[in-house]
Amino acid sequence: MTATRVPSAPERLQMHDICKRFGSTVALQEVSFTARGGEVHALVGENGAGKSTLMKVLSGALAPDSGTMVLDGLPYHPRDPLEARRRGVAMIYQELSLAPHLTVAENILLGVEPGRFGLVARREMSRRAQEAMARLQHPEISPTALVGDLSPAAQQLVEIGRSLAVGCRVLVLDEPTSSLTSQDVERLFEVIGHLRQEGHAIVYISHFLEEVKRIADRITVLRDGRVVGGAPAAELSAGEIVSLMVGRRLDELYPRSPRVPGEAVLEIRGLQGVPLPLDASVTLRRGEVLGIFGLVGAGRTELLRTLFGLAAIRSGEVRLGVHAGPASPLRRWRQGAGYLSEDRAREGLAVGLSLADNLTLSHLDDLGPAGLVLPRRQEAAANRWVRQLGIRARDARQKVASLSGGNQQKVALARLLHSDVDVLLLDEPTRGIDVASKALIYELIDTLAAGRRIGDAAGALERPRAILMVSSYLPELLGVCDRIAVMCRGRLGAAQAVEDVTPEALLLAATGQEGVSDGV
Amino acid sequence: MRTALSLVLIAAAVFALSSCAKPPEPTPDASAKADQAAQPAPAATQGKLTVAVIPKGTTHEFWKSIHAGANKAEEFGVEIVWKGPLKEDNRDEQIKIVEDMTSKGVSGIVLAPLDDTALRLPVQEATRKGIPVVIIDSGLQSEDYVSFVATDNKNGGKIAGEHLAKLLGGKGKVIMLRYQEGSASTMEREAGFLEAMAANPGIEVVSSNQYGGATTETAYKASENVLAPYKKGGRLMVDGIFCPNESTTFGMLRALQDAKLAGKVKFVGFDSSEKLVAALQAGEIHGLVLQDPMNMGYLGVKTMVEHLQGKTVEKRISTGENLATPENMNEPRIQELLKPDFARWLKE
Amino acid sequence: MASEPRLDSARSGLPSGWVQALGPVFGLAGTYLLFALIAPASFRSLDNLETIARQTAIVGAAALGMTMIMVAGAIDLSVGSVVALGSVVIAWLLQFAGASPLVAGLGGILAGTVVGLVSGLLVTRLRVVSFIVTLGMMLAVRGLAKSIAHEQKIDAPLTWLNDLLATLPAERQWMLLPAGVWLVIALALLVAGLLRYTRLGRHIFAVGSNEQTARLCGVPVSRVKVLTFLLGGSFFGLGGLLQFSRLTVGDPTAAVGLELDVIAAVVIGGGSLSGGEGSVFGSLVGALIMSVIRSGCTQMGLPNWVQEVVTGAVIVAAVALDRWRHRRVG
Repeated sequence: MTATRVPSAPERLQMHDICKRFGSTVALQEVSFTARGGEVHALVGENGAGKSTLMKVLSGALAPDSGTMVLDGLPYHPRDPLEARRRGVAMIYQELSLAPHLTVAENILLGVEPGRFGLVARREMSRRAQEAMARLQHPEISPTALVGDLSPAAQQLVEIGRSLAVGCRVLVLDEPTSSLTSQDVERLFEVIGHLRQEGHAIVYISHFLEEVKRIADRITVLRDGRVVGGAPAAELSAGEIVSLMVGRRLDELYPRSPRVPGEAVLEIRGLQGVPLPLDASVTLRRGEVLGIFGLVGAGRTELLRTLFGLAAIRSGEVRLGVHAGPASPLRRWRQGAGYLSEDRAREGLAVGLSLADNLTLSHLDDLGPAGLVLPRRQEAAANRWVRQLGIRARDARQKVASLSGGNQQKVALARLLHSDVDVLLLDEPTRGIDVASKALIYELIDTLAAGRRIGDAAGALERPRAILMVSSYLPELLGVCDRIAVMCRGRLGAAQAVEDVTPEALLLAATGQEGVSDGV
Repeated sequence: MRTALSLVLIAAAVFALSSCAKPPEPTPDASAKADQAAQPAPAATQGKLTVAVIPKGTTHEFWKSIHAGANKAEEFGVEIVWKGPLKEDNRDEQIKIVEDMTSKGVSGIVLAPLDDTALRLPVQEATRKGIPVVIIDSGLQSEDYVSFVATDNKNGGKIAGEHLAKLLGGKGKVIMLRYQEGSASTMEREAGFLEAMAANPGIEVVSSNQYGGATTETAYKASENVLAPYKKGGRLMVDGIFCPNESTTFGMLRALQDAKLAGKVKFVGFDSSEKLVAALQAGEIHGLVLQDPMNMGYLGVKTMVEHLQGKTVEKRISTGENLATPENMNEPRIQELLKPDFARWLKE
Repeated sequence: MASEPRLDSARSGLPSGWVQALGPVFGLAGTYLLFALIAPASFRSLDNLETIARQTAIVGAAALGMTMIMVAGAIDLSVGSVVALGSVVIAWLLQFAGASPLVAGLGGILAGTVVGLVSGLLVTRLRVVSFIVTLGMMLAVRGLAKSIAHEQKIDAPLTWLNDLLATLPAERQWMLLPAGVWLVIALALLVAGLLRYTRLGRHIFAVGSNEQTARLCGVPVSRVKVLTFLLGGSFFGLGGLLQFSRLTVGDPTAAVGLELDVIAAVVIGGGSLSGGEGSVFGSLVGALIMSVIRSGCTQMGLPNWVQEVVTGAVIVAAVALDRWRHRRVG
């Protein structure tokens, strides 16, 4: 890919000293950004760093407080996304904006249908749609296919094709690979490479640094609304990028204290749920972090939910500490287990309630005399974790909905700490949160497994906990876990010590091509 | 945000009130005219008596006549405050109105109680606070009132019964659709009617336990249900029908018209309205017992004024009852009762 | 760790439920002052204040139950029917079973409790939304009340039950307000405490705000819902008792449409139709606002339609605010 780099590419879009405030919050401070024709410019930064605000300014969805923009040498101040599109700036969002009940051709030419007297020239439409897809080197996507029947990857291509059809030459791709398989990612990268050759300016937003390193010619890093670094991609290592994003060094991201595995606290044998998992057996010991890797849909979440009593058990044995057999979530909490949901907004948190309510809901004991729940005690208990975990909140009465993703996740995790559980079932604990919060959560997991005190937290007994962690992000599993098991099509493979596995073997096992248990 | 909430609430109230504090615009819509009479009025104009007239409801023609009669009595130098519940079965609403008028401190209350027992306590309360109450139209199981001004309902029912018996030649099957339990006036009419029927051994009352309910709509449904078992091949196996008030009479009339049975059965009703008079003319109704609601409203207020002036008043005052038939309906005396000129008194 | 968060513990003044109710309080004060300015002097009299309090008692009692149910994210449309049933049961017990007033009154409340229990069980067992279940209960319970009363009203002897909401006689002026009003106030404090200071209360909020989260956190969701409907039903039964107290008869046609008044009171008071929000205090204020409008319009001699238009406008404004609040939260 790097062979196609055009060092002296023409500047197509320039943003100078863009500032944007929301109330007292500074979202963007003197941000300058340039997109050149024939170049892929990656914009990276943790959530809340200002990436999406900057792109909203670019696409006309937000007006900047100050700063100037120039597009192809002319002043550029779009009042809305439609005007931006007319000027040639297109956004391709994570949530595609296609009409699923229309055909590929109808979607591509939506609003610019060829024809006269209100009649649509169908043949002409087909031809032009075919042409657009051919330009993307995907002529196999038929103009007459219904968009709703296409795979997410193909839909994305149709979306890109639509932008090209109306003459857009600055394309902004926002996390384009988040819902794609690795094969589809390769196809997309080919398309992007092709567009670059054609001279389009491409802004690529992603938090997958490996991808960014591969595809981008130039990288700009945002942190706290400022540009903290920008350089040709070849001059930045992945570690340097992360350091810029987080403001700390990479080897600090995954701390690993000496851990001493103790007695088995969770044992499952031949567990089968309805309908998933099909077969899962594993033993989790106190003082260890056990990772479960697998593709989306492999049954990892279902395994944790079945364990925790949120889904029914069809057969198999579960033993949690001294308690054998199935149990309701209420029992599981009392038996010393806690579950962190992968879906914060829908299941993990009651976002309309206060931080204190959310944090203490699983354990409302000891918050007042005679079983009463005194708000003051509730807030004091919550404040302790707000302090320990550095949750950015006005106070413990603040509604969770108004917290950032990372802080929400900390609240959800603090619930398990407040309940003082021994077995932590963590489902994608770092999904969709900023790197600083991720670092804190990795640190917390290590602290819990090693049995150290959390910050200056007093009261809770210091003892090693057992952690079962589900994740789709291999680097963090390899960085955090002691052992890793792979789940594939509902079946859980044997857990391997982290020193004995390679990323390639885990990936193969996850896609069902080779069992990790057969030895790597 | 909290402030914004309160601001909006106040704004809503201010808007709604400022728009209604003005006298209503004149409107050609006849149904809106009754409301216009109740213009905002200062409660205590120096020395002038204020009398609250509280009907059972405000939608029936009958109550408009009462309203007209009450307004006519303003000639005695009183101010009339007219306020009633929207629906004639809302006991709680009427209780609230009596209470409101009591705390408003009117000179006296003229009340047509919805219920002969439920209104006892608020009337007692008003009397205790020195506000006298005159009962009109329907009785109240209490002694706390000054006078009871009403039609002799039992006699009215009896007149209806005797007329129907004459029409049927003293024999046949008869249906009576009751109005509503707890409404003393109609219960007396029903009793008077049944008494007249009992005097004719040839007549059999085949149904007398169904209730029409508070509105024309409920009466219409009840009428259909009552008639259903007696309909056979486009004919009705019943010879006579009696209904004890306007809503039941009209509901029954509609049910008969819909079943193409109107005029094929002798039908005697109570009270009048434009539609009922038309049906009387068309021979679909064979008799209407008429009260004199305008007179009732007028006498109710007049009695109150006399009481307030320290005169002794009768405990029971009858306002008269008359029978309108297709034959006599054009006589001036009946015409005046059928089409009372209440528009004049409702400040048209 | 991230930078030190700002913890503003000094700002722990009023409990948030009360703060939330401040808006409606301003609304109430504004409405009252407005009428005090434009209505006749009698509107401002202490007598009239007492009358307003008495007239609010029924909606207020029912609003206590409805607040709990709506906070739990559900709704109960059967309020009016349950109030009618309660009044009929009490009258029946007094008239035909020779029960003492106390027993009869408790019987009415029990009837409401049983209806609430049935609604709660139907909602949780059949997994049908409460709107549909209670719509059915609204019709069924109304029918049951009519059948007990044989489609008539039931007259009952006058007892001390009928003094609950009667104007105070001179020798008991020291009470300031009738016993029934005090009862509602005392129960309001109790319910507010229950919602705020007990495990059940926090569970009700959690279930209403996000049922899935509540389940995940070990809240026995079904039990909480059934209990909420049961308690709500008992307050509707109390509403029936107060209705009987005012009517002196058991009236199966009473309180038609009451559910809308009660829901409006809760919504005006800051309750949300989507659950997780609401305060007992706010709901009572909401009920008072509607009574004040009623009283003011009557005192001014305005026709019925004015009162209906004003009340309607207030309800729409309150619901619009409810939506606006949610948009702001996101």
